[in-house]
Amino acid sequence: MPSLVIVDRSGAERAVAAGPGLTVMEVIRDAGFDEMLALCGGCCSCATCHVHVDPAFAGLIDAMGADENDLLDGSADRDANSRLSCQIRFTPQLDGMRVTLAQDD
Amino acid sequence: MTQLADRDYFTDYQILKDPYAYFEAVREHGPVYQPEGRDFLIVTGFEELLEVMRNSADFSAIIGLQGAALPLPFTPEGSDITDQIEQHRHAFHGGDLLVNLDDKPHTNMRALVNTLFTPSRLKANEAYMADFADRMVRGAVAKGAIDLVDEIATPFVTWVVADLLGVPNEDRQMFMDKIREAPCPGNLEGDMALDEADHPFAVMGAYFAGYVFDRVAHPREDVLSELANATYPDGTRPDPADIVKLGMFMFGAGQDTSAKLLSNAMRYIVDQPGLQARLRADPSLIPALLEEVLRLEGSTKQTARLARRDTSIGGRPVKAGTRVLLAIAAANRDPKRWDQPEAFILGRPRIKEHVAFGRSAHTCAGAPLARAEVRVILEKFLEHTAHIDIDEARHGPAGARALDYEPSFIIRGLSELHVKLTPSASFTPLEPAPADAERKADTPAIAAISTGDTRLADLLDNPSARELIDRHFPGISEDQRIGMAKGMTLRSIQKFAPDQFTDAALDALDADLAAIPAQ
Repeated sequence: MPSLVIVDRSGAERAVAAGPGLTVMEVIRDAGFDEMLALCGGCCSCATCHVHVDPAFAGLIDAMGADENDLLDGSADRDANSRLSCQIRFTPQLDGMRVTLAQDD
Repeated sequence: MTQLADRDYFTDYQILKDPYAYFEAVREHGPVYQPEGRDFLIVTGFEELLEVMRNSADFSAIIGLQGAALPLPFTPEGSDITDQIEQHRHAFHGGDLLVNLDDKPHTNMRALVNTLFTPSRLKANEAYMADFADRMVRGAVAKGAIDLVDEIATPFVTWVVADLLGVPNEDRQMFMDKIREAPCPGNLEGDMALDEADHPFAVMGAYFAGYVFDRVAHPREDVLSELANATYPDGTRPDPADIVKLGMFMFGAGQDTSAKLLSNAMRYIVDQPGLQARLRADPSLIPALLEEVLRLEGSTKQTARLARRDTSIGGRPVKAGTRVLLAIAAANRDPKRWDQPEAFILGRPRIKEHVAFGRSAHTCAGAPLARAEVRVILEKFLEHTAHIDIDEARHGPAGARALDYEPSFIIRGLSELHVKLTPSASFTPLEPAPADAERKADTPAIAAISTGDTRLADLLDNPSARELIDRHFPGISEDQRIGMAKGMTLRSIQKFAPDQFTDAALDALDADLAAIPAQ
């Protein structure tokens, strides 16, 4: 099974198996990274599943929508690699992708 | 006498009136407690409740609608009952509704729902919501005294979701009437499930079937078209029947909770000293008000999970087959998590982490809609009034209100709230409602009945037509499987069963139907 590498806020990283049909947020959540709140449950309505995505994979992930862009604007930790993980569908091409949980706002 | 913590949450009307006192009594026994003589656990601790909600590997959502008290339809065997649950899914109340689903079926359906109430869609819909709210509130202010629950809250949220989904104008009144007569989910007085044939929501389901099949064939710019033509993340297409159930569930789940949030919020607005003046002066505080009301008195008191594997909660071992009541109302007042938990404090730090909408995989997908619609209508109430009061003749004075609550173990909501509205200085009453005239104009003239124009349900309601159907298609009128399709015309059903409903057979039926007068 393809895997996703998750870096938590302390900098520790762990590779987790990522099942088909899930979003990156769901993979992180189901792997037990409770410091990611994902408060709205994946509805693109908050910014609490904010991650920084390895730039090497930027061309392979779903493009950012206007709602996501607006929501990320509210985060102090936003940078060029910022994404809401609920808006990225995990596909086998993303095997080995590294995401870093953004700092708490 | 049985102490409060061991009384029956599911039948005790004193607990219905004040579930908070009961949950505090339960909390005294620790964050996870098994009441004397009961075979389920109650989780009142904030952290422990989060632990269960996050652990969907060990806990199934299957008992969400029927609750923790009802016995399982099977005897749990062994340390993992996942297969047993799936074998008996249809024996659970609403077993195949979104809120009760697990694993891949849940993830799939959830993926469809996640895109429905995005900020941009809600923003696009806000002008409509605001206009509708404005007309309702101005009508209420002109009247001076209203029952907020029955006259505003329920019709408002029904109309808003009907509009978002794309329910035709001419059917909306029927939906409102059905919702008004439907018991809340988790009704204490009967155990009618949302998916039972006679339940008002099942009646609406028939209409939904018609819409969904229509949208598959003729997509439009509405949520139902989006749902009807969506694909799951794995590329497969949902069964239209699943979309029908989803639409029905969205009415069932969204209506009561949003409507009750409005009346619960209004009670705080009136009864918290100085609050309404503060909100009128600065309406941008309304979202913060809503979050604190959601924490203190959200519309969902509790939900439930079933342990499907041997597991633990807060270090306490829990056997597969254990039913768990998750006391949302208690977690949101847990003193370990909330400073002065009983106090109403606007702008608490990290208030959005309350669990009024749940957390993790089953987080309420309608939360953004509920927040938007209740905010919009509260803005209108504050704009058009100089003062809002609760009717003392009905509910007694502040500090000693006499309030009745919906008899539900799930929903925390007033059954009525009579308020008096003093108009603001700038208030102008409503022009004579153009909406009624519009609605009448929208209603099509009664046409002759036929297999192309008349829903099967309406045909079956007409005794002469029913007799003809029985003659042309023996057994159809009694066929249980046809339930969901009753909202469709026979010509639409033909697409799904072309061998049974041939053109020739339908033409023959039409020839006979033409001879009976329209009702």
